[in-house]
Amino acid sequence: MSDALARSKPASTKDGAAVDDRVTPTEPPVRPPAPDPSVKKSAGRAWLRVSPLVLGLQLALGVGAIAGWQLLTQVGVLDTFFFSQPSRVAVRVWEWLTTGVIYDDLAVTLQETFLALVIGAALGLFVGFLLARVRLLAAVLDPYIKILNAVPRVVLAPVFLLWFGLGIWSKVAFGVTLVFFVVFFNTYQGVREVSRVLVDNTRMLGASESQLIRHVFLPSALTWIFSSLHVSVGFAIVGAVVGEYLGSAKGIGYVIAQAEGTFDTTGVFAGIVVLSVVVLLVELLVNRVERRLLRWRPDSGRTDVA
Amino acid sequence: MPEQPYAVQLSGMTKRFPTATGEAYTAVRDIDLAVAPGRFVSVVGPTGCGKSTLLNAAAGLMPPSEGTVHVYGEPLQGLNRRASYMFQQDALLPWRSVLDNVTLGLRIRKVPADERAEQGRAWLERVGLGAFAAAYPHQLSGGMRKRAAVAQTWIVDPDILLMDEPFSALDVQTRQLMENELLTLWTGSEKTVIFVTHDLDEAISLSDEVVLLSAGPDSEVVGGYPVDLPRPRDLMDIRNSPEFNDIYRRIWSDLRNEVMKSYERRARTLQAG
Ligand SMILES: Nc1ncnc2c1ncn2[C@@H]1O[C@H](COP(=O)(O)OP(=O)(O)O)[C@@H](O)[C@H]1O
Ligand SMILES: [Mg+2]
Repeated sequence: MSDALARSKPASTKDGAAVDDRVTPTEPPVRPPAPDPSVKKSAGRAWLRVSPLVLGLQLALGVGAIAGWQLLTQVGVLDTFFFSQPSRVAVRVWEWLTTGVIYDDLAVTLQETFLALVIGAALGLFVGFLLARVRLLAAVLDPYIKILNAVPRVVLAPVFLLWFGLGIWSKVAFGVTLVFFVVFFNTYQGVREVSRVLVDNTRMLGASESQLIRHVFLPSALTWIFSSLHVSVGFAIVGAVVGEYLGSAKGIGYVIAQAEGTFDTTGVFAGIVVLSVVVLLVELLVNRVERRLLRWRPDSGRTDVA
Repeated sequence: MPEQPYAVQLSGMTKRFPTATGEAYTAVRDIDLAVAPGRFVSVVGPTGCGKSTLLNAAAGLMPPSEGTVHVYGEPLQGLNRRASYMFQQDALLPWRSVLDNVTLGLRIRKVPADERAEQGRAWLERVGLGAFAAAYPHQLSGGMRKRAAVAQTWIVDPDILLMDEPFSALDVQTRQLMENELLTLWTGSEKTVIFVTHDLDEAISLSDEVVLLSAGPDSEVVGGYPVDLPRPRDLMDIRNSPEFNDIYRRIWSDLRNEVMKSYERRARTLQAG
């Protein structure tokens, strides 16, 4: 029995906390969350249901912070050399968008993110399945997986730059090392945690091993993987941007690094703004996908027929 | 020995489980159980006596430590392909709709999709779930999930049905309804049913024969009690008939002994530990 892999993991973190600055996934298999009515039915529109008071205060906070920043730089308390200025950042973002210079970089970053996500997820799924079904393999590989996962990813970036060059593939490789472990641990857990009676029932109905995988193990693993999708997507983006930052000729990370090199604080902040908006949009997309694919899950707030 | 082989025959079946201390725990010992085709046989016994273990052996899910399992005269190898198994726990796939769950066995047998859907809908109607084809299992009540499980196990038209306390989690009214429906389904189907329950009432009113297991460990067959009540039966009336009460009293005095033994043993282990 090699439950060691499963047991060695820390308790699950919540979605948001995952993209931590150490750039080392702590591989929490995110347990399919307990029914959470607020997330389920209208995660995308949840803010619509926030009370007017809260919404007003939220707006006030945001506007206040930006206005304060603007004001403090205007009167000279904060040095615009180090802090730039919201109005300048806004103008820069506007320029980038209207002249279109940023789109190429954005496209590259998104492409890297996508590739890292797909390749990392595919590898994680495959290896997770293999190890969950072949106990001996899991037992043998257990220490090595822990060691590999313990390697801080940033130190790998130079190696990948040497191996894969300055183009997108070094960033993809970097992202893959982040995404892989999240998906791997979740798949492993998803397959191992399938209830015995579901397996027995499906076998009694005549299922072969491959039919078992298709009807029972894969859907169970997918549940876990989708609940960790936010984490995976976050890691894929981190991989792309950090990779670009450390060495590249294109991408948002590259734009930020360039701006930093010329002490162009406005450019750095504008890059951060663009990146944040992209991440937000991707998050919304992930929410939709997740809601669609996991709609079979118990959801206390919803139509209980009985 | 009848002309026809038994649908299920356990001979000298013993099942031991390894324990943490290293010595084996003998759940059931030297069980002989023969069920003729088309018979409805209930297995009764105190909790933990090994009823599920018996069914698992008959299903081929768990090979016996000693003894043999024969299905229609053939020694059982691997899973029992002529049997459906309705588990004590919920076994519907949570990620499949009720219709997809009910037709899972057909899908596994590669029945074409339209034929599958047609049969599935017919079965859903039959078990009173016609309106819930698209629902997911978590949206159903416990009783409805059991109905779906009945449809799921019957749709593949098995010769043998192994049912492990299928209705024990239901409230009394729902349980009676389901028992009635089960009898209606079974009547004329010529299917062999092995029905596990700890409810003597249920066992007698449904079955042709009640088999009583002794308290575990080392559980054995205490005896088989034929139930010669006329069929078709109305479960409401039958429980008030004098014949029913005769049989009930006879089995109950034996069952009570076993339940008491089981209590005493548990009390002793508690004191020892
Ligand atoms: N897989 C197993 N490993 C160890 N002990 C088991 C296992 N399955 C059943 N047992 C033990 O065997 C005995 C009979 O179990 P079971 O057949 O489930 O009883 P019942 O269904 O009558 O309640 C119980 O004491 C139980 O603890
Ligand atoms: Mg049981």
